[in-house]
Amino acid sequence: MSKATTVTKLKKQENLIGYLFASPWLFGLIVLGIFPIFMSLFFSFTNYNMISAPTIVGFKNYEILFTNDDLFWKSLGNTIYHVVIAVPLGIVVGVGLALLLNNKIRGMGVYRTLFYLPNVVSVVAMTLLWLWLFQPNFGLINELFKPLYDLFDMEPLGWYLDQKLSKLTLILMGLWTAGGSMVIYLAAMQDIPVTLYESAEIDGAGWLKKTIYITLPLMTPSIFFNFIMGLIGSFQVFTIAYIMTSGGPSRSTYYYAYYLFDKMMIDKAMGMASAMAWILLVMVLIVTIFALRLNKYVFYLGDES
Amino acid sequence: MTETVLKRPKYRSRKRRRIIVHSVLHIVLVLCSFVFVFPFLWMLFTALKTPAELLKGISVFFPAEPQWQNFVSAVQKIPFFMYLKNSLIIVLSVMTGTIFSATTAAYAFAKLKWKGRDKWFIVMLATMMLPIQVILIPTFVMYSWIGWLGTRLPMIVPAFFGGGAAFYIFLLRQFFKGIPKEMTESAIIDGANHWQIFTKIMLPLSKPAIMTVALFTFMGAWNDYFGPLIFLSNPDHWTLALGLRSFQTQYGGQYNLMMAASILIMLPTLILFFLAQKTFIEGIKFTGIKG
Amino acid sequence: MKKLLLFLIALSASIAILGCDGNTEEQEKIQIDFWHMSPVGSESYTGTKDIINAFNDSQDTYFVKGTGYGFWDYWDKIAVAISSRTAPDIGFSTIDDVPIRAEAGVLYNISDLIASDPDGIDIDELYQSQLDFATYEDDLYALPFSATTRVLYYNLDMFEAAGLTEADVPTTWSELETVAKLLDVVEGDEIQQLGFDPTYGNATYHGWLWQTGLDFFDDDLNPTLNTQGHIDVLQWMIDFNSEYSRSQLTAFGDANAMLGINPFAGERVAMIVEVDGLYQIIKNAGATFNYGVTQIPVPDEDGIRVNWGSGFSVEMYDNGKGEDDQKAGAWEFLKYLMSYDVQMELAEVNGWIMAHQGAMETVAEGNPILERLLEEVAYAVDKRYVPYAPSWHGNDWQPYYSQALEGELSAAEALEAARNNYLQKKANWEATHQD
Repeated sequence: MSKATTVTKLKKQENLIGYLFASPWLFGLIVLGIFPIFMSLFFSFTNYNMISAPTIVGFKNYEILFTNDDLFWKSLGNTIYHVVIAVPLGIVVGVGLALLLNNKIRGMGVYRTLFYLPNVVSVVAMTLLWLWLFQPNFGLINELFKPLYDLFDMEPLGWYLDQKLSKLTLILMGLWTAGGSMVIYLAAMQDIPVTLYESAEIDGAGWLKKTIYITLPLMTPSIFFNFIMGLIGSFQVFTIAYIMTSGGPSRSTYYYAYYLFDKMMIDKAMGMASAMAWILLVMVLIVTIFALRLNKYVFYLGDES
Repeated sequence: MTETVLKRPKYRSRKRRRIIVHSVLHIVLVLCSFVFVFPFLWMLFTALKTPAELLKGISVFFPAEPQWQNFVSAVQKIPFFMYLKNSLIIVLSVMTGTIFSATTAAYAFAKLKWKGRDKWFIVMLATMMLPIQVILIPTFVMYSWIGWLGTRLPMIVPAFFGGGAAFYIFLLRQFFKGIPKEMTESAIIDGANHWQIFTKIMLPLSKPAIMTVALFTFMGAWNDYFGPLIFLSNPDHWTLALGLRSFQTQYGGQYNLMMAASILIMLPTLILFFLAQKTFIEGIKFTGIKG
Repeated sequence: MKKLLLFLIALSASIAILGCDGNTEEQEKIQIDFWHMSPVGSESYTGTKDIINAFNDSQDTYFVKGTGYGFWDYWDKIAVAISSRTAPDIGFSTIDDVPIRAEAGVLYNISDLIASDPDGIDIDELYQSQLDFATYEDDLYALPFSATTRVLYYNLDMFEAAGLTEADVPTTWSELETVAKLLDVVEGDEIQQLGFDPTYGNATYHGWLWQTGLDFFDDDLNPTLNTQGHIDVLQWMIDFNSEYSRSQLTAFGDANAMLGINPFAGERVAMIVEVDGLYQIIKNAGATFNYGVTQIPVPDEDGIRVNWGSGFSVEMYDNGKGEDDQKAGAWEFLKYLMSYDVQMELAEVNGWIMAHQGAMETVAEGNPILERLLEEVAYAVDKRYVPYAPSWHGNDWQPYYSQALEGELSAAEALEAARNNYLQKKANWEATHQD
């Protein structure tokens, strides 16, 4: 047997093994996933109120959304604003928390658990609390900021009731649950070989240097992960606006997924909602494919050879 | 001799510095903790209120007389233990299924070269981009065709086939890619096959990541009420998260009972988190490998 | 890790086996599925269960299996069930959109059933305005089950404290303004107690509008909203408490909204327009203040006495599987549910105003509040179903309404913007509904 045939044989074998390992997921996607996905694409070309049978309308839904629907553009604009701010901010806070909680001090397990607490608290409790804290007239936050307002002689901030600040307020509230991504970063930090730190210490590197030259570069796989997931998730931002602001004030927190939800649940226009879903998919897909190019800056320990 | 004399003061100042740094850290952490614990305290105090106190809204923050029996009635008003059992069946199955289907797929994406891999990777990401609302009805119709209505299967089976696992596949792929090649290559030279590499090297070395996936899937399945609401037709299969919603009635509802019950169901998640984060301390850290 | 996996598999398998429960349903009877809004754990659960059990014990042919979903979950569940043709044999829905389901053929024709069983339902006991909503092409496809109404609640203790009596309860808008101002209590910058605000509680713009004879849409469902009358009503709402800033009013309102507290039940406002459900809230919370209810004040002597009321319908679902036995059983159960005695029981159990007028009169006897509420149901009118904007009063209108209240848009501008939105929705709806 020549060397070349062994290599092709190995390649063929790896090809097969690759498919075998992916097969549970692939099987699920093809058998359980394809029908609903195809149906939603079909619905996007129909008029369907979810009770009567759908009637085909061709590209009409898409045409209307792009040419004669002010809310489509408004909600898309709101969503892009949210994505641009929430994604980077979420990463900075998540990494920050993880760095803070990766120290070996007594009671760290308790601190970590406490920081994670908002992720487990019931949504209703969280909502009421947020509304109360941020209430412009008597909320705790404006009470705390009062000296600051007096110092700069300014009006108290209106938070979620001010249409210029409402999106930022929701983003701030969302940061409360940064504990979720923190867990991923913490897990990532455990995979960094101690030997790297040890040799850096021998070279006299301090905490800052170790963080910048070892921890952060080796966290890029999980930062990259949270970035891509943040993109995909933020484009579908919905729940927080639904429970906190009902899309207001003045539709300033009326996001794309919210509009889609209303189209389906309130207007019973499933065809239009499906068209919106597929437009969203294509948009996010394009953005994600561009974002995936950042992969070349990601440092995988396993790729190094 | 001279060396130790020289080193000592340095060592001491370092120790002092560490004490200062740690104290500052503790102060920062305690302050931050308060912000994060606040929602929980709010829940607790609400759970302990009387209906009359609830009516007063935020003007009453602390309950005058803590109504501990609210916890008891929350448990007694619903078939708590039946719901608990149902939740455990679904949650444990989803955890098992997701860990199985996500780790295998992640291994394929991270460590194996196969035709179309990168295209399938994009497809996998794309499955997360379609808002689930628009596939809800066709999914339900499909399950009714297969004859799964009235069973727990719609909540359990998809997990074993990567249903909802795209997030975890991607996450694990990132971790697997961080595992040095030398480890897998030397195993291949030793005659190990891919399944052995997967179970003997990849999985043990990715304990923190797998714990993270376990934690997230647990939380997701444990707190999900919408899936059980739509896909479970038999009320005897209802889960805790769904059963608790009975306290939310048309006109506001029994907030105190709701909060009491919510506290009860968040406890297992907290315990699981506490256990999971411990693996983040042990770490595996490849102590045997030179970088 | 392998051990953990094995452990998990073993554990879930063992629980799954333990979890297999025997089928205890009565096999020989025909099973009728009935969905309601009293899940296990809710206050109305036991009462609802008793009503179903009584029916099951009363005959040997059918077994009604009741399943309760929480009020907020019921709608998602039934919507998915209807569109997948897996709906229960009998269940509840909203009454204003019955024709949509009737047209789609998912409902059994109730008129046909009544024709073959004329004594089954006491149709004269039901409200005609509700029956009209349940009618499609001259046939009934659902029956009114419960009714809601909106009234003016007034706090007698607060009236007394301000030197007023029950005789001072306002009946017109101008009286309302005069009396309301006497009941305001302000300390420094903060409102402590408010007499009345036309935007609070369950008062709506279209509710006030109807009293003047105007509406959002004309008979062909074209949006109106562009007359001076429309502007005047909105302006009246905005200006009612103009001596306070909007942020003062919002703060006052928000303080109540936290935890979903009704400001009237929390004794923060002296008068409020609310649905009949507020009576239940006050009753359940064990509040001790004295209060009364009356009709909502009208603009002037020529004002129309009308309030926005709605209700649930009870429907029999046709899943297209030719289940004649189930249909017959559901009809028997429907007759039972609509009977005098059961309607009385249902009123007690749920705290609802039931559609059966005779039953409700008996329930309300000796209860002045309930009697008064019942009187107003006769003046209740439901909102029209507008296919291109089913939530014309909610989702589509709220943003413009709040902008007008906040002063970001004038009343005229807000109405114009809202109208343009309806016009766009109408055009788009028509573009996708060409036959």
